[in-house]
Amino acid sequence: MAPTLGKRKRITRERLEQSSRSSSASRSASEQSDGEDIQNIFQRAFEAKFKPLGVEPKKRKIEEVVENEEDLEEESDWSGINSEEDNVEVVEYSNGRNTGEKASRTEMKAFMSSKPPTSQSQTRSLATKAKPAEDEDDATETTHLKNDLALQRLLRDSHLLSSTSTSGSNTPTLNATGAQRHKSTDLHLLSLGAKSSIHTQKNMPMSHRKGIAAKNKQREERRRAEARENGVILEKAIKVKRFTKERERGVGGPGVGKFRGGTLTLSKRDVADITGGGGEKGRSKGKKGRR
Amino acid sequence: MTDERTQPLLKFTGQKYLTHRLVLSTLTGRPIRISQIRSSSPTNPGLAPHEVSFLRLLESITNGSTIEFSYTGTTLVYRPGLITGSADGLGASGGVLRHELPAGCTRGISYFLIPLCLLAPFSKAQVNVIFHGPGVITSATPTGDVSVDTVRTAILPLFAQFSIERNIELRILKRSCAGPGGKGGGGEVQMVFGHQVRLPKTLHLMNPGRVKRIRGVAYAIGVAGANNARMIDTARGVLNKFVPDTYIFSDVSSAPFISTNDRSNPGAKKKIGIGFGLSLVAESSTGCLYSADVVCPPSGGVPPEEIGKQAAYQLLEIISKGGCVSSIAAPTMLTLMAMGSEDVGRLQMGRDVIGSEEMIELGRDLNAFGGSGWGLRDAGDESGDIVVSVVGRGVGNVGRKIA
Repeated sequence: MAPTLGKRKRITRERLEQSSRSSSASRSASEQSDGEDIQNIFQRAFEAKFKPLGVEPKKRKIEEVVENEEDLEEESDWSGINSEEDNVEVVEYSNGRNTGEKASRTEMKAFMSSKPPTSQSQTRSLATKAKPAEDEDDATETTHLKNDLALQRLLRDSHLLSSTSTSGSNTPTLNATGAQRHKSTDLHLLSLGAKSSIHTQKNMPMSHRKGIAAKNKQREERRRAEARENGVILEKAIKVKRFTKERERGVGGPGVGKFRGGTLTLSKRDVADITGGGGEKGRSKGKKGRR
Repeated sequence: MTDERTQPLLKFTGQKYLTHRLVLSTLTGRPIRISQIRSSSPTNPGLAPHEVSFLRLLESITNGSTIEFSYTGTTLVYRPGLITGSADGLGASGGVLRHELPAGCTRGISYFLIPLCLLAPFSKAQVNVIFHGPGVITSATPTGDVSVDTVRTAILPLFAQFSIERNIELRILKRSCAGPGGKGGGGEVQMVFGHQVRLPKTLHLMNPGRVKRIRGVAYAIGVAGANNARMIDTARGVLNKFVPDTYIFSDVSSAPFISTNDRSNPGAKKKIGIGFGLSLVAESSTGCLYSADVVCPPSGGVPPEEIGKQAAYQLLEIISKGGCVSSIAAPTMLTLMAMGSEDVGRLQMGRDVIGSEEMIELGRDLNAFGGSGWGLRDAGDESGDIVVSVVGRGVGNVGRKIA
């Protein structure tokens, strides 16, 4: 190679490989016979096109090394371990034992407690073992189940889709997205027994709430009025319970009047009750005083 | 008593099967008279300390039972009362009855526990007894009693087959082997039996199944825990080939201290009940239990390897006898079946188990107490077992009937 002056040129990968290949080739040429060299070239060419061949020559080398070591050992006095003893399955035995100890670590409490042991712990462990195996057997089963659930949800919430089909996605998918997903979750929660929808606003100014309530009431009244006019029979109106006259009194509180700010305030009616009627009216009714 | 007029005393002789006869008498309400208790023994005739102690236990968990001894203690008349359990005011305080065993006791605690477990389901209130004192031996004994671990792991689970399973506990508060000369211990055991029934369920146990797992408890009391490891290792060496699911738990505890009862030094205490032993339980695929129990002799001199090997071989022998119950559990099972509803229960048993002297005597005793005879037939399979059919008495728990 010609010596280059100045900056060293960047060595490209191809060139590096070329040089190393050529050097290794030259070394092999010096060490091994020509026939082997040709075989190497063929092998390399083959490996470039196809998968690399099995690495048999390497293995042979290791074997040789082992043989050398054995030779060394034979030279020393120590006779070494018989190769036959290597085949004894001691390793398996200890393995099995270790797993046994691990498994029964959880079982120990159940067995050594004061209660008579039951065979439930065993069945439970079997069940946990069997589960993953089942999953492996039919992984499709779970996906089917999942798809079934999704389809059921879709069918349940299909009216949502129809109402928003103009604005939202036209093609209904198994998994709703965005606002639809929220609505569908809300419906699901309500069907499961949620007290109120997740969309209801919790805190708002009183005027707003009053306005909303009034609007709702008005809407309901109009609906009922229209139905009445058209002769449609609607469901019975649920009457909101008004504040009852006799309110529940606390245990420690006064039996009469209202205790506020450290003073017991009696209304006129209370006083009339106590005194047994204020004037002729009470007398005529024959109301008895509460004492 | 009115019973005496209608029912004559049942007469038995000899001290053998004393506890079982007393239990049957209590369960059936028949008064019994047992005579010739060690009458031929010139040195210690009459009742032994453990028998007296058992009678005291019976008296404390029943109400209205009377016990009369003869002058020498060779004759005993027992009139049973109602089984009340550990109700307050009848020897029990705070719902717990404390029963002290005397120092001369040579029998293991299972001698008391197994009959107590037979009585407990028919009790009015729950049975909660603490055994304490210088005579409590929790381990197996050379006299042939099983250890408390075997009672808990091999006998108490059988009650579940009669649907008696809730609130049953056997707490081992302090372990103890047999003391010097096989006498006394210093352990403490609490038995809680809180599931009382009107009638135990009719049992049909016909399929012994195959042994699927073996569990066990190795206990070392006052000796090095290495003894446990050595017992476990040998026992597993024998059993692992047959059942890979074998595990034996180890329990190491210190020896109990008991008072020496020395006048000159009243505060002095001594260690008692040193030793080690192994309890093994094999469970079959159908829930049948087979148990083995070996303990070192009180004199010592047996290596733990030997104990482990003996226990494993004993377990294999008991399994080889076949049937659905081992000979330790068979009296309990058959008595519960006989006390069940008026229905035929069936139990498959090995020939050697049913053909023992103990079982035959049990059958005769049950007959004497008014039970119907057992029906025996061949199981008809290759095992050569025998199916025992037992008709229940249909009386069950008298206390429950009123309540």
